[in-house]
Amino acid sequence: MKICLLSWEFPPRIVGGIARHVFGLAKALTKTGDEVGVVTLDFPGTPDYEEIEGFKIYRSKTEVGHPNFLTWTFLFNHFLEKTLAVANRDFNFDIIHIHDWLVAPAGIGFKHLLNKPMVCTMHSTEHGRSSLHSPDTHMIDGLEWWACYEANRVIVTSNSMKGEICGHFHVPSEKVDVIPNGISPKKYEIEVDRWNVRRRFGVGDHEKMVLFVGRLVPQKGVEYLIRAIPRIGGLVPQAKFVIVGEGWMRSHLEWLADTSGQRWRINFTGFISDEDLAALTKSADVLVVPSVYEPFGIVALEGMAAGVPIVASQVGGLAEVIEHDRTGVFVYSRNPYSIAWGVERVLTDPGYRDWLVKNGHETVRKRFSWEAIAQQTAEVYKSVVGED
Amino acid sequence: MSRGPPVSPSVEIPEEFRFLCMLHNVGATNPERSLTILEIAKWTDKEEPTIKDYLRKLQELGYVQLITSNKSEKYCVSVMGIRKVLTLYS
Repeated sequence: MKICLLSWEFPPRIVGGIARHVFGLAKALTKTGDEVGVVTLDFPGTPDYEEIEGFKIYRSKTEVGHPNFLTWTFLFNHFLEKTLAVANRDFNFDIIHIHDWLVAPAGIGFKHLLNKPMVCTMHSTEHGRSSLHSPDTHMIDGLEWWACYEANRVIVTSNSMKGEICGHFHVPSEKVDVIPNGISPKKYEIEVDRWNVRRRFGVGDHEKMVLFVGRLVPQKGVEYLIRAIPRIGGLVPQAKFVIVGEGWMRSHLEWLADTSGQRWRINFTGFISDEDLAALTKSADVLVVPSVYEPFGIVALEGMAAGVPIVASQVGGLAEVIEHDRTGVFVYSRNPYSIAWGVERVLTDPGYRDWLVKNGHETVRKRFSWEAIAQQTAEVYKSVVGED
Repeated sequence: MSRGPPVSPSVEIPEEFRFLCMLHNVGATNPERSLTILEIAKWTDKEEPTIKDYLRKLQELGYVQLITSNKSEKYCVSVMGIRKVLTLYS
């Protein structure tokens, strides 16, 4: 089958989990014999066209801009349509698979122009992210509904997201497939000088590293982890905190850290490379995922694959990915005291820690391999190709 | 037991960050498409002193870079700045 994956982010243009998701899917589908073309936006230093791991990547340049976000979005969709046309001349695609609302206008136009089926993966919703507080958020909500309506099938990564899509957009349940995110455990099969990595990120040999990885935005709940730090510091005096990621909340979070009286324990790293991230995750003593909204929570899977115990909020997809007391520890969302309890439990009981790591590692290999996920996605494609 | 730090007055998107998003959205994301302060003023409808203040802060943080050529000074969003902007949009 000739498959077009359309996404506004693709490595090295990494925003959230979508870039890694599309990369993993493209690679796994290619391995099973499908021909895959990825159409995406450009990023400084990347070529307009390249081939990686057997699939082709077409990058679109947005030649005209506008300060308004939504106007800019529609402009880059126009340029994506142009790039889609170029890619389609090479491929003659059988199906287009779009990822989130940002590329929906281009994908829907392509679907109708070529009379080819379209599959849409909804990675999250504006309703969940922002609670629809402004005209712009209502418009994004409308675009998300439009993408679900136009798609021949909708894929979501968790049952929680399926409930959100069916409830909020009134999409028939039978039109929605749940296929989890995948990860590449091999990424973590690397030799790491653990002590050296920890020192590089400000953690001493006798200290405990508590890691957070994610965008510094409200939905990730990192402020509740920072609010838990004085409590954790009291329970586990050797705890140090490494906060990886960027986001508009960073200055606020640094202010919060400054006023916690515990600033010396906390290192904000900003964005780091994938190589550093893998080494850092493997070197951590615990990974905290304190999200308040999380459609899937791929960072928890990455932690399990890296062999680090997980302490996570029991919300959304995390509640499906993690099994409490077996593959991770659930804590209450938006609750610093609960986070402190979970972190202390993992850091002070080595036997319990090892039990979580062992189970998490096994689970991630069995349930979340890209091979299994590509196979399920290909079944969805087969169900709609030739349908129109 | 410590009750943690006080709640901040508000968690709003900082103005200089909104300004960074505007620079990004108009396409000033590489040296070839960098803009003068006058051009930025036209795009963003902001006063020159405000723009200079934002640019100074953003340059210090590494989110904007100054491009100097033929005695003209132009500005564009750095790779780090692009990543910062994109975190808002996902």
